[in-house]
Amino acid sequence: MIKDTLLIIFLLFAVFSVKSQDYKFGKVSKEELTEKVYAKDSSAPAAVLYRSHKTRFNYLQSNGFQIITFIYERVKIYNADGFKYATVKENLFYNKGQNEHLTGLKAYTYNLVDGKIVKDKLKSSAEFKTKLNDFYNQEKFTMPNVNDGSVIEYQYSISSPFYWSIDELVLQYDIPIKKQEVSISTPEYFVFKPNIKGYLKLNPRVGSGNGKMNFINSNKQRRGNARYNYDQTELDYSTSVNTYEMIDVPALEAEPFINNINNYRSVVKYELESVKMPDSPVKNYTTTWEDVIDEIYQSQRFGGQLTQGNFFKDDLSVILADKNSDIEKTGAIFHFIQDRMNWDGYYGYYVNQGVRKAYKEKKGNTADINLMLIAMLNDAGVKSYPVLISTRENGVPMFPTREGFNYVAVYVELDKGSILLDASNKYTEPNLLPARAINWFGQVVKKDGTRKSISLIPKTVSKETLTCSLFLTEDGEITGKQRTVYSDYLAYNHRNDFNGVSDESYIKNLESKTGGIEISEFSVKNQLIIGKPITESYAFLMENQASSIGDKIYFNPLFHFATKENPFKLEERYFPIDFKYPWEEKYNISINIPEGYVIESIPESLKLELPDKMGSFLYTLKVNSTGLQVLVDIKFNNSIIPSKQYQFIKEFFNQIVQKETEQVVLSKS
Amino acid sequence: MRLFSLYCAFLFSVLSSSQNLDYSILTMDKALTKDANAVVRLDEMKIEILGHDHLRYKVDEVITVLNKFGNYHSTKSISFDKELKIKDLEVFIYDQLGNEIDHFNKKNFTDVSAADGFSLFNDDRVLRHKYTPISYPYTIHTSYEVETSDTGFFPPWYFLSNYRESVQKSYYEITYARSELKPEIKEHQLDGLNISKIDDPGKLVYSAAMIPAIKYEELSPSFRNIVPRLSVRMIKFNLKGEEGQVESWSDFGKWMDDKLLSGADELAPETITRVKELVEGIEDDLEKAKIIYKYVQDNTRYISVQIGIGGWKPISAINVDEVKYGDCKGLSNYTYALFKAVGVTSHYTVIYAGKDKIDFEEDFAVLQGNHAILAVPYNGTYYWIDCTSQVHPFGFVGGFTDDRKALIVTPNGGKIIKTVSYINEDNSKKTVAQYTLGKKGDIKAMVYITSEGIPYDNRFYLENETNDNVVKAYKEYWSTINNIEIKNIDISNNRDKIIFKEEVLLEAANYGTISGNRMFFTPNAFDRNTYIPNRYRNRTRSLVIDRGYSHDNDFLINLPEGYAVEAIPDNISIANEFGEYLFSIEYIAKDNTIKYKRKLFIKKGVFKKDKYKAYRDFRKETATADNSMVVLIKK
Repeated sequence: MIKDTLLIIFLLFAVFSVKSQDYKFGKVSKEELTEKVYAKDSSAPAAVLYRSHKTRFNYLQSNGFQIITFIYERVKIYNADGFKYATVKENLFYNKGQNEHLTGLKAYTYNLVDGKIVKDKLKSSAEFKTKLNDFYNQEKFTMPNVNDGSVIEYQYSISSPFYWSIDELVLQYDIPIKKQEVSISTPEYFVFKPNIKGYLKLNPRVGSGNGKMNFINSNKQRRGNARYNYDQTELDYSTSVNTYEMIDVPALEAEPFINNINNYRSVVKYELESVKMPDSPVKNYTTTWEDVIDEIYQSQRFGGQLTQGNFFKDDLSVILADKNSDIEKTGAIFHFIQDRMNWDGYYGYYVNQGVRKAYKEKKGNTADINLMLIAMLNDAGVKSYPVLISTRENGVPMFPTREGFNYVAVYVELDKGSILLDASNKYTEPNLLPARAINWFGQVVKKDGTRKSISLIPKTVSKETLTCSLFLTEDGEITGKQRTVYSDYLAYNHRNDFNGVSDESYIKNLESKTGGIEISEFSVKNQLIIGKPITESYAFLMENQASSIGDKIYFNPLFHFATKENPFKLEERYFPIDFKYPWEEKYNISINIPEGYVIESIPESLKLELPDKMGSFLYTLKVNSTGLQVLVDIKFNNSIIPSKQYQFIKEFFNQIVQKETEQVVLSKS
Repeated sequence: MRLFSLYCAFLFSVLSSSQNLDYSILTMDKALTKDANAVVRLDEMKIEILGHDHLRYKVDEVITVLNKFGNYHSTKSISFDKELKIKDLEVFIYDQLGNEIDHFNKKNFTDVSAADGFSLFNDDRVLRHKYTPISYPYTIHTSYEVETSDTGFFPPWYFLSNYRESVQKSYYEITYARSELKPEIKEHQLDGLNISKIDDPGKLVYSAAMIPAIKYEELSPSFRNIVPRLSVRMIKFNLKGEEGQVESWSDFGKWMDDKLLSGADELAPETITRVKELVEGIEDDLEKAKIIYKYVQDNTRYISVQIGIGGWKPISAINVDEVKYGDCKGLSNYTYALFKAVGVTSHYTVIYAGKDKIDFEEDFAVLQGNHAILAVPYNGTYYWIDCTSQVHPFGFVGGFTDDRKALIVTPNGGKIIKTVSYINEDNSKKTVAQYTLGKKGDIKAMVYITSEGIPYDNRFYLENETNDNVVKAYKEYWSTINNIEIKNIDISNNRDKIIFKEEVLLEAANYGTISGNRMFFTPNAFDRNTYIPNRYRNRTRSLVIDRGYSHDNDFLINLPEGYAVEAIPDNISIANEFGEYLFSIEYIAKDNTIKYKRKLFIKKGVFKKDKYKAYRDFRKETATADNSMVVLIKK
């Protein structure tokens, strides 16, 4: 019986091994070289045929533990767009005299020439080392003789003395991966916790192994001639091994209206949880959000900043003169800091120069500015707390690490509710964070170690409300006046983009956006009064906006205001649509028609509702004594729309475009 | 050595003009702030020529930044390399009253790689520092000294460096120790400038004051052809250790041939045998060249590596042959070498590549250009090829290097030659289509596009794209047709004649818009040109149309049954100095079809600034006509 089973297993194995591709270095097959296109994704310019990425620990008596990562990849280049994958870059961290190193690079390019496999070796002259900045060196190499159809292979190791920090294991690329084996082996002394994110399902295989530490003691003892006596001790330890074996990993591609695409990339991060060295007590490292937050809070560069107050005492008493309620105090202090401080362009929840120095120099990073704001509010008796945030650029923090945050804003508790503040931009308002910080949830953290998750996604609908009154002439010219009011984020964007731009340049910009329009009597209000909507108004003239043929005139009642293109063109969508904030576009246009004409036909009104009240579209047209009144209203109540609703959204915009391109017919009376 | 120290003593007795500068903006002439985001209070460079291979210069730059759009001056980037040393680097910041509010020096700068984003490696480095302003306006004063052995690339001088930036004082001084070190200067666009010049023994000075800011205008001459500037050269120079003596382009070509190219064209015997086999039996040099160029395209790729003199010297042909990649210089030289191996003559060519057509100046030979290509002389003409492209046909360089003067290197020295030009009718795009408009406004269409010249350059990449990307490209190209579905694509690229043909079968719902009893549609479904140039209330510069083109349409449209034509646009025929526009539309009742023809022809030319409005009006008219609609009504 046992014999039979063995035989079957043997047979199975034999069959399997005949069919399977050989992924040993150098064993590139003719089939791989002749392949014209990646079977599962014909648009891929290149694909990783096989990838092995093995991380393990090594102990050196002189240096202690280090991490060794062995990397081997076999990449198929299908066409010229894929040539860039024949250049490989590794950023190597260095700090305080300790460096990451790349060693053992071996690489070949394989081509099929007259039916024979020809290989070219990477020469050392094609390897380059550059000092990138104060933290990273970069090593790069580019493969020789790369053509359409080439296969390249390379392998190397990276050693890192920073054993407490394992780089993220990236499991999805911008090109497809046919097969990959990614493993990580950690000694029993270190407990690492895997944190997984991305859209793919990952099931690591968990196993164990072993490692060895060697200690050599040399005792300088004279025994006759100069001789040394070596004492060698060995210490075995067990390791825990996690292996990710994956096949057919699809390429990750960006789509329009998306948050950071990296939020959807499959990645595993091994975070150090605790260390237990032989004969030493357990030392815990970050594990929970509470631990992360506590560690951040305890830092002199975070919590320590909140209690410093002497430097602003005098200014504060001036600001607070005649301010009684918490809400008045909050407003006054916020505007004071917003006005005084200048953001230097750097993120961070740890101060760069410290609130005291930042205050004096009137500039700082996000922590310098916002922690200063909290210190001041607290000093004035207003309850306020830091909110730790991960910016859109930093992605969504799925697991507790200090890198899971990179930004800090302010949370204020008032009697009538709470508000969010961020003084690192000149045009933010209470409850209006800069777009960079609108990223899912933030963590309000308190000194006692408690935390509260709050949504950062704006609820207020940002509106563009346009009122326009215009006259249409027989030869198709329109002249009119329009007034547009921008609220909330639309006002914020307007201020950031255009404050300081001369009217003349701004008008030129408007004119070039709408080809052929001529603008005059331009004025804009409230640009500098933060908190109020911006009102912009002007007179305009545009020719050829109607066709006058025979005794009829035809025109689109929305003229240049019409939505003529559907922003969603692709058949399918994989990731959520992200508009950043809810929005509404409301146009109210009154059209005076030329004398001697009557209205012959007008488009029908239309009302559309998206499921779950996600959004709506309203189009109504009314005839009055002098002409027509058109009202158009597009509204999205949700800023994030799941990909499964994509077809609805696409069709929604289709109908909008269709409706907004309809025409009015006038005829001579 | 003694001579040098004496010489320095002499120099230090010269007063620096930057002393006693008033940093306050209160005293600044208001004329300087007009149209300006920043005011250059002082732009000063004092160059000492200490030898043919020794320059030392001091830079003083005082800029008042008026608003955030001028704040690019807050980041200072200063390049250096092995030959070029920077010292005494200091930055002072002043508030609007002229009080010093901040101060940095070299320690505060970070030393970063001058990674240009596309080079695999670049050994140039940059010192960089960014200042965060706490209010506007503020004044930033940067000063440093540079010492270099490179004199081959002599610092040129721009009296005006950016749009929307005025200059209070610009001061350029050169002192030279001996008369044979006197550099040559060529002046550009100095007319109308308030300038004073000194040309004394041992000293050259150009000083200008009160230069108003200028604004960017669409369709105008390029910046370097508008602003006052100087080109400067030393006849005898040193470049990364290579000596040179160049009076003319002929000399320059010789120098390049000797110092940068000679010997770089050697090839391994096997390679020579291989390429000879490729052209066996072929007599005609042009045919041979085509085969070799195709071989290079099929076997190499573009990778930029900039090391040392690598900015100017190609990697050897042997080296490129081994790794099968190189930058523009390496690949051009490699192709040159292969041509030579099969007896085809070609010339290494240095050129300014890019959208702007920049000419090499015939009367001022100096190191310049940013790209290398090859010129193949044949029957009294030149065929130009860009060896960094894996896809361009032989003899076709597209809009990247066409129609401009470049330096070709021949065994008898250098020559300035104008590259092939693609102008007017050369740039032809013909769109022919038959389409059927359905009762619900849907269309089914067969579209044929034939592109030559620049349109070829814009479209032939589709040949090498995957199907998914081609479909995406059509959705973008016909973005005015919503709901488009591409049913079939047939593409053919005639590389010999340089003609690209596309046949696309497509469908789209709701192309026609139904309102009540009527259906509206734009007959020009596939080649609408709605471009209208920006309006300038006060145009200050001439109108430049730098290529010209001819785009023709010929559509046959089947109308839906049950509808009659209610209105149809009028025919249009315009011919003027800018070109021609013809628009004809005809309803053929017996077939229930519309015949639509349109020609948009724009001519290359330079026109006086007051013609700009007429051109804009012309384009308004053509855009309107291209957008015009046919109205159908239910019978």
